Amino acid sequence: MKIDFPHHQFAHCESGVTTNLLNYHGFSCSEAMVFGIGAGLFFAYAPFIKLNHLPLTTFRTSPGAIFAKATKRLGVVVKREKFRDPLVAENRLDQLLAAGRPVGAQTGVYWLPFFPPAYRFHFNGHNLVVIGKVGDDYLISDPIFEETVRCPATDLRKARFAKGALAPKGKIYYIETMPQQFDLPKAVVAGIKEVCRGMLKTPIPMAGVSGIRLLARKLESWPAKLDEKQTLLHLGHVIRMQEEIGTGGGGFRFVYAAFLQEAAAVLNNDQLLELSNHCTGIGDLWRDFALLASRVCKGRATIQASFSELADLLRKCADEEQILFTRLQVAIK
Amino acid sequence: MCNTLEYELAKLIIDFCNVEDVSPCDIPLESPLIGPDSPFGLDSLDAVEVVVAVQKTYGVRIGGEKSSREVLQSLTALANFIRREKESE
Repeated sequence: MKIDFPHHQFAHCESGVTTNLLNYHGFSCSEAMVFGIGAGLFFAYAPFIKLNHLPLTTFRTSPGAIFAKATKRLGVVVKREKFRDPLVAENRLDQLLAAGRPVGAQTGVYWLPFFPPAYRFHFNGHNLVVIGKVGDDYLISDPIFEETVRCPATDLRKARFAKGALAPKGKIYYIETMPQQFDLPKAVVAGIKEVCRGMLKTPIPMAGVSGIRLLARKLESWPAKLDEKQTLLHLGHVIRMQEEIGTGGGGFRFVYAAFLQEAAAVLNNDQLLELSNHCTGIGDLWRDFALLASRVCKGRATIQASFSELADLLRKCADEEQILFTRLQVAIK
Repeated sequence: MCNTLEYELAKLIIDFCNVEDVSPCDIPLESPLIGPDSPFGLDSLDAVEVVVAVQKTYGVRIGGEKSSREVLQSLTALANFIRREKESE
């Protein structure tokens, strides 16, 4: 049994899954639009939260937030279920598939055999859509991959009940009903407002533009505080979160620029086109930071001289983001 | 493959990433550019270097919904991406 599901490959799993599910249910949209309506863009540097024993740097909102906010703002009714018992969870999934419903699932990447071994790390916030079952194999639309993939039931069970941080606990989600009409402009404005608030007004110093400045200060101190190996591990971790973890590059800034370009047409507001270009420029700045950082990690640039330059690049990113989101707030008033 | 865009790209990667003992003509067109099977021996940190080198040389930005993961799958994928972007300009 296989649901006729329009699978498309995207940059990021959660916005990709949301886009594929919305497209299936008749709302044609891009990944960038979903990311923007879902207010996915953010920044936080939280040294007390560890990922792979290194401080958390994130360029997006928390897992699940993009799906929840994008669907809510579009008036889509969704259902989420969690389970204690893997067998009950599997039966429920089979029941929904038999009813012809594609089902989103949170999984642990490490247990998914269709991932190349080099990419199978312990991350429990990976999203995919289950679109059918043939024998003991589930058919899966994973937006990270070009084609749909198969996954043995035993492996999917392990992935849905992976232990550790962000443990999925069998979580599934699906669209129950779509609205008669969408108020896209309203959803776009709501998404933009939330991102501006998050980047400019979060009252904790580790989030938004303040968080970028905090990272600049901390990063500058790493060579003095940490040994060389740890210094390079900390730096490499920031670049990986920025360029690798499905961000579309530039820590999601390029995806957000694409959203602003679409938003300009939806809201008939040319100022957003200019701000989209500004956002692309900021993505390039983040990439300049990643380039120098990767050269330091690879021994192609000296540590001592480069860390103050890296911190200056981060401060420049923060300054430009402050200007961008302040102007964006005004542009949508 | 010499004198093709794929050859130019292999040479560019070798130059920018300081890859030693590899000739651009010897790189299989479908081999992954990044990861343990990369004939260049590149890892994910080198990917940033490749992405920026491509942008500076060809004026094509890899990012947004077409992620570097897809574009850097092979020399063929990278060359096709550049050709498509150039055509749409």
